[in-house]
Amino acid sequence: MENSVISRQPASRPDKRAKKTRDFHRLSPFWNAAAHLVIGLFSLACVYPFLFVVVISLTDEKTLALNGYSIFPEKWSFQAYQYIFQTGDQLLRSYGVTILITVVGTLLTVAIVSLYAYAISRPYFKFRGLFSFIAFFTMLFGGGLVPSYIVVSQVLHLKDTIWALILPMSVSAFSILIMRTFFKTMVPDAIIESGKIDGAGEFRVFLYLILPISLPGLATIGLFAALGYWNDWFNALLYIDNAKLLPLQSLLMKIETNIQFILQNSAIGSGTDRSAIAQSMPAETTRMAMVVLATLPIIFAYPFFQRYFVQGLTIGSVKE
Amino acid sequence: MEHGPMRWLRTLNRNKALLLMVLPGTVWFILFCYLPMPGAVIAFKDYRYDTDGFLASILRSDWVGFKNFEYLFKTEDAFIIVRNTLLYNAVFIVLGTVLSVLVAILVNEIASKKMAKIYQTGMFLPHFLSWVIVSYFVFSFLSVDKGVLNQVLKFFGADPVFWYSETKYWPYILVIVNLWKGVGYGSVVYLAAIVGIDKSYFEAAMIDGASKWQQIRKIMIPMITPIIVIMFILAIGGIFRADFGLFYQVPRDTGALYPVTNVIDTFVYRGLKVTGDIGMSTAAGLYQSVVGFVLVIATNFIVRKINKEQALF
Amino acid sequence: MKKRRGLTLLLSLFLLTSMALAGCGSKDNGGSDTAGTKTDSTGSEAKSTEKEKPVKLIWYTISGPQKDQDKVMAEVNKYVGEKINAEIDLRLIDWGDYSQKMQVIAASGEPFDIAFTSSWAFNYVESARKGYFYELDGLLEKYGQGITKALNPAFLEGSKVNGHNYAIPTNKELPAQAVWRFNKVLVDKYKLDVTKATTLESLEPMLKTVKDNEPDVYPIPSNIGPYLPYDFALEGLPVGVSIDTKDFKVVNVWDTPEAKQVFDTMHKYYKAGYLPPDAATKQGNEHEKTGKWLVDKQHTVPFADILWSDSLGYPIVSSPIHEPMVFNWSVTGSMQAISAKSKHPEKAMEFLNLLNTDAYLRNLVNYGLEGVHYKKLSEDTYEPIPDSGYSMPSFTLGNMFLLYKLKEDPKDKWEQYEKFNSSATNAPLLGFQFDPTNVLTEIANVKNAVDEYGPSLNTGSVDPNKVLPKAIEKLKAQGIDKIIAECQKQLDEWRAQNNK
Repeated sequence: MENSVISRQPASRPDKRAKKTRDFHRLSPFWNAAAHLVIGLFSLACVYPFLFVVVISLTDEKTLALNGYSIFPEKWSFQAYQYIFQTGDQLLRSYGVTILITVVGTLLTVAIVSLYAYAISRPYFKFRGLFSFIAFFTMLFGGGLVPSYIVVSQVLHLKDTIWALILPMSVSAFSILIMRTFFKTMVPDAIIESGKIDGAGEFRVFLYLILPISLPGLATIGLFAALGYWNDWFNALLYIDNAKLLPLQSLLMKIETNIQFILQNSAIGSGTDRSAIAQSMPAETTRMAMVVLATLPIIFAYPFFQRYFVQGLTIGSVKE
Repeated sequence: MEHGPMRWLRTLNRNKALLLMVLPGTVWFILFCYLPMPGAVIAFKDYRYDTDGFLASILRSDWVGFKNFEYLFKTEDAFIIVRNTLLYNAVFIVLGTVLSVLVAILVNEIASKKMAKIYQTGMFLPHFLSWVIVSYFVFSFLSVDKGVLNQVLKFFGADPVFWYSETKYWPYILVIVNLWKGVGYGSVVYLAAIVGIDKSYFEAAMIDGASKWQQIRKIMIPMITPIIVIMFILAIGGIFRADFGLFYQVPRDTGALYPVTNVIDTFVYRGLKVTGDIGMSTAAGLYQSVVGFVLVIATNFIVRKINKEQALF
Repeated sequence: MKKRRGLTLLLSLFLLTSMALAGCGSKDNGGSDTAGTKTDSTGSEAKSTEKEKPVKLIWYTISGPQKDQDKVMAEVNKYVGEKINAEIDLRLIDWGDYSQKMQVIAASGEPFDIAFTSSWAFNYVESARKGYFYELDGLLEKYGQGITKALNPAFLEGSKVNGHNYAIPTNKELPAQAVWRFNKVLVDKYKLDVTKATTLESLEPMLKTVKDNEPDVYPIPSNIGPYLPYDFALEGLPVGVSIDTKDFKVVNVWDTPEAKQVFDTMHKYYKAGYLPPDAATKQGNEHEKTGKWLVDKQHTVPFADILWSDSLGYPIVSSPIHEPMVFNWSVTGSMQAISAKSKHPEKAMEFLNLLNTDAYLRNLVNYGLEGVHYKKLSEDTYEPIPDSGYSMPSFTLGNMFLLYKLKEDPKDKWEQYEKFNSSATNAPLLGFQFDPTNVLTEIANVKNAVDEYGPSLNTGSVDPNKVLPKAIEKLKAQGIDKIIAECQKQLDEWRAQNNK
């Protein structure tokens, strides 16, 4: 992306077909427009459902039941949002939990993963093979749900703590793999050698020479990790009983699964019990409003993330 | 020979910095992966609970051999679910990779940095919507009486289509929905790889008078090929695991569509709904792992034959 | 030098992380601990210092989260501490999560004392058979006399697994009775006679009247499920015996004339437009909100029409399809079990006994604090305070007959329940619990086939003349005959043992 930044100024382009143009950093206007069109349409298609969800959340409950989903509802209503803000200190709490686990978890993941990946990317590391195996073998085999649950709840005693939402996902062999390849291919050996000659220790080389030029890689695994933490609901399902520690996605997921469970399970109590439970569930517009409120921060946070992302990349290129 | 242990210690000492680096990760792997791993033997046992705890329960349960795996192989459905899982995932991997790389290149080439950012944010959004929400959205298109598509058909005087009972459309629908949800997210890796390419290559190409297209083909793609290959090999490892939400929520668990929507994960879910047997669910997981493992080894072997540099291990 | 600095940096980083880990961990633990002590420090602790320390019981039950849980539990523990020197650690798990979570908790051997179990969530028979639950026969005799007295004996009798009780059933409606439930607005408008509604076929003239006059209403709004006069051996599979069977012959229910007739009729209705075109895949209950429906099928309880009218906001009337009948699944519809691993099974039983016999405790656990969560109107009536932060699902906890009534409720509500309970006859398989161990493979396969064909046959979306033979063939290919044979074998043994 930043190559386009660097090459902002020169814009002389005599040949429209761009076959022999001198400026290789920019596309011809035609292809540029085509790229805009393709990517623009695709991203529009990606945003559209979200708009759709916003519209449903603003539709009058009764209108929704009568007419079904429509992008131009007959009657609008803010009732869903009113309802959430009246009763929803849970939503606010869950925001807090999600943000906390995302921030702490991402930092932890990036730290552990980059250290591990760096070590196994060094050709002179004697135990490289062993530790690569230790990491990558886990991508293929798992012990299953119950044994993992026992480790977290009974060995580490993490149940109903915030750490049960962070630690089980804090390392991924997948990210280690990406970072290892990154270090291997993107970090010139010359840099490490120069560091070595200066007499810098391994950690020093890593911290002051490698990390700064590895920001694109770090940003990538950081982003993956952050999204993983933000979207996780399964760990909460397993390890969290206390509503005060429920993350956002788990809150949303719970509402969906509850409603499906009640509607599909005809054996629950009598018909009257079922009606009573169904009554206590949030209405569809309310559910959509919660989706909107849960997704909105990401839309605003992502550009920031992206800025660091791009910044990291720029630093990388300046070094060259 | 008596220097053996001493030498080993010296090796340790020489590598101590790097060993310290892998320490936290190794501790994590031991705790969260290797400690639970022996639990997989449940797949070969008739799991019976014992009040002395989980370990005792495993030890005292009877061995049943491959009985827990039988339901995955016994009927002709087993063939269908394996076929569906493999074919869908193969299509997802191929098209997903191609489109992700394409999107990454296009985003990288777009001159307006601001627009590129906006597009990227937009493409990311579907990743945050759960499959349940996506299924509502798909339903708003495909619903028989109120769906957008049928209204369009009606407008043109065509007969409405019963989308949720016609199997022939679903392979396309599922592929489109999956790509739509995943491509924006998938392109991030490739974008990072592209931006990470040493600028001097492009400068050299520029001096040689290479066109943009040539730059993409001759520099960009070869440079990101290692990442593509790695992602590909990894995806192969998961080819036996289907995205449950996509195949269960999006077709609204419609029976008539099972021939084209039933995959291993949904089959196991439905099959064990009645009895909830731990042995059988562990068996399914193990089956998926082992096949994935074999496929990864095989793919890696082939890649290695072609180009040793690009192999995963 | 430099090397060491790098190392120190890293080490301090680790120290920091581990400290943060430990710190936060202990903070969290501290948090829950203080919450725990808060609950008992209010009252029982002062007294219990003289006595021995109260026994702590962990109780998992199914419910949405309750905002004021801590407040109410403080009061509960004060009372329970005094009465039986116990302290309850109540943990609520949401509806959709309950089964999965409890299965993991139980299978992993995590400690708990009491847990909700039933035929539809955290399956009772399965769990009892897997050994998760404490066998209660002795405890019931010793500490559960109150329960035995309060319960209709059919509850304990019908919920035995291999001859033993593993959970305490809730005293509520014992039998199940399917009814046609009508939207009374339309019934009155078109002067329909719902008393004539008995069989599926008898609905036809009413469906026709409504469809003719209100073309945009689908009289049957969704997949209402067929009523088939069979007692099923396993939830969700078409394997069972006829409800008035004499020979106890286990059959493939889809392969019976009754099923064929239901599917045929539904197909006729579907073609006539009485069901929505996408009935087979329709989810949700929008029609209940819009009132655009005439009839569906539900299980009733005494005064159900009043409750339904109340919760839907328009009048409802219903007409029975069959006489009330006690099924395995209705008996085990809501129970509380004690963990096989519980360290205090006696205390747990004492508590359950108290919960099922003590009106004050039962209402406290259910409705919360008087004046805060509900207003007491008289000796046995109450009025909930809306959005007050505490109201538990009453049918899941224990003896319902102890509960205060709404002022709209008839005075003799619980008497009517008892009458309803004693009016019922027993279904043929009551007390017989099918053990699926030997046919798990077939069950998993057959279930997939049932899910594939069930909804479209049940809603008449497909022509049974074409599809039903295919479906039956598929069930056979998946091994339903083996399940039937296994079931028949077990049933015959059970009959020999129980002289049925």
